[in-house]
Amino acid sequence: MSNIKFVIHFLILLLIQLTILDNVQLHSYMYINIYILIIYILPYRLRNATILFFGFFLGLFIDLANNTMGIHAAATTLIAYIRPRLLMLTSNREQIDDIQGKQKISDFGWFFKYILISTAVFNVVLILGEAFSIQNFLITLLRIICSTVASIFFILLYYFIALKKKRN
Amino acid sequence: MKEIIKLILKYHFTIIFILLEFLSFSLIVLHNNYQRTVFSGYTASFFGTLSSIITDVDDYFHLRTTNHKLVAENTTLKNEIEKLKAYHHVVSIDTTWLIKDSVEVDYVYKTAAMVNSGFNKTKNYITINKGTTDGIQREMAVCSGEGVVGIVQNVSKHYARILPLINTNLRVSGKIKKNGYYGSLQWDGDDYRYSYLNDIPFHVNAEPGDTIVTSGLSTIFPKDELIGFVESVDKVTANFLTIKVKLATDFKRISELYVIKNTRKQEQEELEAISNE
Repeated sequence: MSNIKFVIHFLILLLIQLTILDNVQLHSYMYINIYILIIYILPYRLRNATILFFGFFLGLFIDLANNTMGIHAAATTLIAYIRPRLLMLTSNREQIDDIQGKQKISDFGWFFKYILISTAVFNVVLILGEAFSIQNFLITLLRIICSTVASIFFILLYYFIALKKKRN
Repeated sequence: MKEIIKLILKYHFTIIFILLEFLSFSLIVLHNNYQRTVFSGYTASFFGTLSSIITDVDDYFHLRTTNHKLVAENTTLKNEIEKLKAYHHVVSIDTTWLIKDSVEVDYVYKTAAMVNSGFNKTKNYITINKGTTDGIQREMAVCSGEGVVGIVQNVSKHYARILPLINTNLRVSGKIKKNGYYGSLQWDGDDYRYSYLNDIPFHVNAEPGDTIVTSGLSTIFPKDELIGFVESVDKVTANFLTIKVKLATDFKRISELYVIKNTRKQEQEELEAISNE
């Protein structure tokens, strides 16, 4: 993915998040966060430290918009931290080329594994950061699962519309 | 040094990650009301336990000084006993019928240990480890071996909270021992070693070094408990003196306290209430 394409995806995702998804009220059981896809599709050649700072400031930006100071930042920093390791674990050389290269992401299998783990981790931190206690743990767990499923659904929707490599 | 830099370079990714997470966490706690409340709840219970442990340990290191003070106090008390014995011998020769088996005393003393205290605010409090189960009630007097400490303000089952002399809300009636003029002692919230005795008429002769004691006019404090010594005398208003008093009790060092119960308090108050009607 070229830099210009990445910037376009970045702006579109942020716009969707801030204008639509943040205004959807689905009880407090479901938080839909599509903007984390930006961190998933960051160019691979970036240095790890840069990705960390990018993740932190992206989360902080969303925090400022949602008035949830620090919670999103903590979650995005964590997924930016595990991103390099996760990519190493779930993908092979060819697919890494995919995320940085000229073509769109083609292999659905590894991409799904990758976003499933990342999104789950993200929502664990997000919901725990918001609940800030381990009382009513079952409800917290339910919220984590609901938010993860909802977020993944929207991320996949975006993936099929904009990111999936078209077959010739 | 080289190794440390190498180590930092090797793990710089993780170090940056930890720093950023720490930053996020402090942002969460500082800027979100709910999270701040929960967090301060955790820290309060944690530091409450911690300060109680520290006090326990700290007491051991002061055993020596505490012992010295106790010995000194014992000596004074023994001397008092000897004096009283001598007096008793003189008096009791033909008045034995006056001395009963059970003597009714005006004041009952109870020892207590301090578990928490403050001295750097304008409204300081002290907590002691005796409560209603030990017979402590509100508005009892509290003294240390050195002098007056304060008044019991609130009581729970096992603890009591004391309003000490170094709290601007407390006023205690104090008296210049040598001539008996009394005024009200109130702290100005500044230095925990000094308090101020107000409302003493300007013609009264008070000099640095004079002893200030409790007046015994209220039903709380026994008469002539040591409060402190005159440090300096100022004539601030036209008619009254303000006397700076160096408190006898060192609020930074107390650990053992006496709570004093006035057994005739109720009787006196009932009588005064009837007379006022």
